[in-house]
Amino acid sequence: MDVKNKWDIIIVGAGPAGSAAGYTLAKKGFDVLILERGRQPGYKELFGGRVYAEPLKKIYGNELSGAPIHRWVKKEKLSFVDGNKLVSLEYQSDTSTSFTTYLPQLAKWMADKASEAGALLVEEVTVDRILYKDGKVVGVGSGPDEAYADLVIDAEGVNRLLLEGLGLVEKLKPEQVAIGAKETIKLGEDKINERFGLSKGEGMAWLLMGSITDYIPGGAFVYTNKDSVSIGLVLHLGHAIKEVKEHISQMVEKLRLHPQLRNLWIDGDIMEYGGHLTPEAGPAMMPKKLALNGLLITGDAGGLLLNVGYTIRGVDFAAYTGYLAAEAAIEAHEKGGFTESNLSVYEKKLRDSFVYKDLTRLTGMQDLYSDAKMFKALPKLAVGTASRVFEIGLETPGIWNSFTQARKEAGFGLFSLAWKGYKLMKKM
Amino acid sequence: MRIVLGIKWVPNTQAVRFDPKTGTLIREGVPSIVNPHDLDATEFALKLKDKFGGRITAITMAPPAAIMGLQHVIGMGVDDGILASDRAFAGADTLATSYVLAKVIERIGDVDLVVFGQETIDSSTAHIGAQVASWLKLPYVYYVEELVDYDESKKEIVFRRKLEDREEVYKVKLPAVISVAMHSQKPRPVRMSYKIRAKLENPIQVWTNKDMGLDPRCIGLKGSPTIVAGITWTPEVPRKKQVFKGDPKEAVKWLIEKLKEEGVLPF
Amino acid sequence: MSQEQSKQDVKPMKIDDILQRDVWDVDLEPHITVDSSKCEKCPTKPCLYLCPAGCYVLAGNKVVFSYEGCVECGTCRVICPMNAITWHYPKSGKGIMFRFT
Ligand SMILES: Cc1cc2nc3c(=O)[nH]c(=O)nc-3n(C[C@H](O)[C@H](O)[C@H](O)COP(=O)(O)OP(=O)(O)OC[C@H]3O[C@@H](n4cnc5c(N)ncnc54)[C@H](O)[C@@H]3O)c2cc1C
Ligand SMILES: Cc1cc2nc3c(=O)[nH]c(=O)nc-3n(C[C@H](O)[C@H](O)[C@H](O)COP(=O)(O)OP(=O)(O)OC[C@H]3O[C@@H](n4cnc5c(N)ncnc54)[C@H](O)[C@@H]3O)c2cc1C
Ligand code: SF4
Ligand code: SF4
Repeated sequence: MDVKNKWDIIIVGAGPAGSAAGYTLAKKGFDVLILERGRQPGYKELFGGRVYAEPLKKIYGNELSGAPIHRWVKKEKLSFVDGNKLVSLEYQSDTSTSFTTYLPQLAKWMADKASEAGALLVEEVTVDRILYKDGKVVGVGSGPDEAYADLVIDAEGVNRLLLEGLGLVEKLKPEQVAIGAKETIKLGEDKINERFGLSKGEGMAWLLMGSITDYIPGGAFVYTNKDSVSIGLVLHLGHAIKEVKEHISQMVEKLRLHPQLRNLWIDGDIMEYGGHLTPEAGPAMMPKKLALNGLLITGDAGGLLLNVGYTIRGVDFAAYTGYLAAEAAIEAHEKGGFTESNLSVYEKKLRDSFVYKDLTRLTGMQDLYSDAKMFKALPKLAVGTASRVFEIGLETPGIWNSFTQARKEAGFGLFSLAWKGYKLMKKM
Repeated sequence: MRIVLGIKWVPNTQAVRFDPKTGTLIREGVPSIVNPHDLDATEFALKLKDKFGGRITAITMAPPAAIMGLQHVIGMGVDDGILASDRAFAGADTLATSYVLAKVIERIGDVDLVVFGQETIDSSTAHIGAQVASWLKLPYVYYVEELVDYDESKKEIVFRRKLEDREEVYKVKLPAVISVAMHSQKPRPVRMSYKIRAKLENPIQVWTNKDMGLDPRCIGLKGSPTIVAGITWTPEVPRKKQVFKGDPKEAVKWLIEKLKEEGVLPF
Repeated sequence: MSQEQSKQDVKPMKIDDILQRDVWDVDLEPHITVDSSKCEKCPTKPCLYLCPAGCYVLAGNKVVFSYEGCVECGTCRVICPMNAITWHYPKSGKGIMFRFT
């Protein structure tokens, strides 16, 4: 059987990065093949629950309104947890810049958009190597077969086995990634609105830190979907390998059954459970180059994700880097071909965009968050102060006194606390 | 050899859960797959093609989504597919299903061998192979595990099958219908080039009843004498939840003792 | 409310029971293999706690691995200090099928 085996562009992975690239390129008339290992795009994907919309609007324009959007986030909450007590900061607004969804649904929608634009999407194919010949990437291989292209876009996600196989990156180290585990709990639309104080179509994004991860750097999350809630936690592997004391699923179960939280989703039904890695190290885990002869690297595979503790921007970053890669490919093609020097406009586009700006400006925050001592002390400080202020026995305590006592208990010097606070504010 | 392969696109029954609160099945988001035992049939057919050449056409009677199932087996090496799909076919029991499939096979014409799986995971009747053979008045060998011999000039083929207590060898004159024993093969993976062909060229025809012109009394709900009188659930038996911790060898001994105590083991 | 449900509301579920909510098309061939002789010498055995699907369990003092419930996250590959794991993605679209994650 003679099958077509040469394409303008082959994209590996129909995640947000690959599908956004495929959509943009196919719209321009390129002959695009997208290879996806799952039986359906999205079947292999898991995230927390919230997507920032602005970058997607840049790519899809008004078509985004057709996306599987569950709720627009109008309530943000940040909580410090110490044992059975928690202190929260809540922000409410009547405008919204992000929505909740299931990533498998969104990824399917994005892949369908690429197909409609003319890209050929082929599922159930696990690419096992990128073909490299005479100083450039020429295609991909899977088992006994090879397919060739002038340009390969790597959008394979965080594990990036293909880049490792090419020798472009080393095997991931525990310090570079975090493991996330998640349960989706079916509850019903009305119950969610009632229990979370939301109107129809409005959602909530909630991050928690402290004893909820056993003080392992990372955090827990709660997102409201249309008729379910997503709850889960993220643990930095570098810390977790040393500090974890019980199975991660049991930590998720403790979150589900936490005395202050469990009534929110009581009598709900667990619909699904899963785990996935996420990049943590930011620029430190990027390959030396993101554009090479015949190859562009996008999304999680390139380490192009922002995690600042209170929020993860992965899906929108991945989609936007896929979009920029496509733009770069279009320009390189006009200049005469997909050589490294023509394609390097991708790195320039990244530098000029919010992606690099955020990554370089905010990445230090990860260090602060993964500063184990600080990570433990902050929740203790917040909860310790609040419990002294609010748990009134006979005497009414003063706020400053309560704070000072809690600070000492948490092991903070006044000066070091001020310094850390200053560093954090500067980053933000 | 001209081979027709019957496959069924079934819900992954492992994902169907029973909701104890409402007493109904939870079907939301249950993905469909090619009936796993039909992949044994596919592998068997592909082996015949590897050896003797020819062409394999996969057929299925199903709603349009089953095209994904046909593409899956084309991705494994099957040549093309036919989807028999029409609202008029809906609600069919095994009799009406096998009737449509038999008519599809007749319409393909010049078929040497029809290959089915042993049974499906969502109904497990194992009717279809036998019924199709009856409609077509062809010999039927079920639980086939292995090809023994094929004489192309005489159009005679020899199969081996295993039953609980014996092995049997059958020589049949083609055309014939077989079903392949489940778990008897090691289905090959989907290949990139074949799967690209499946999606790019989409070598799948859709046959509606307009194309087939079948008697409305023999198809769909009308052609289905079976009546589902009711569905009941086996109650959940409370578990004893005894866990033996320690050396696996000791654990086995302990388990055997326990099972004897419970009267599960007869000796 | 059924008994099963109310129990689930107050007691943590075991990983094996939680995984009942997921769906796989399990490949006949394992996509991950573990050299268990290396596990014997492994000082920390982080896989026991951090494989989200609980694919690594202790039986006696042996680490036993089963691939069927794997959610293909890659964690074990990254954390194994002994390089005991040969790790691939499944083929043919097999393995985990996430729908609500
Ligand atoms: C626990 C957790 C919580 C998160 N929370 C959020 C959040 O709330 N908001 C947010 O925006 N982001 C979040 N993220 C991050 C976000 O999920 C990722 O950044 C984003 O999905 C990356 O997109 P991608 O396209 O680069 O990679 P992926 O989404 O991983 O897609 C890669 C695709 O490539 C396919 N593939 C891989 N290898 C091959 C191969 N060899 N052959 C063929 N196909 C292959 C995969 O099947 C997959 O479909 C979270 C991540 C985790 C783990
Ligand atoms: C009263 C009644 C109503 C029903 N209504 C419906 C309905 O509305 N919709 C519905 O989807 N099902 C319906 N069914 C189920 C359906 O009739 C059977 O699933 C179908 O006839 C095949 O039977 P089986 O699954 O037991 O296959 P088996 O006989 O166990 O299958 C043996 C082999 O036959 C082949 N095969 C089976 N089915 C097909 C097929 N469709 N196309 C090609 N090859 C096949 C496969 O190779 C399979 O391995 C109904 C059943 C009854 C009794
Ligand atoms: S971490 Fe690796 S070597 Fe250690 S027990 Fe687990 S699989 Fe074995
Ligand atoms: S890949 Fe993830 S789910 Fe699979 S065995 Fe390894 S740690 Fe467990």
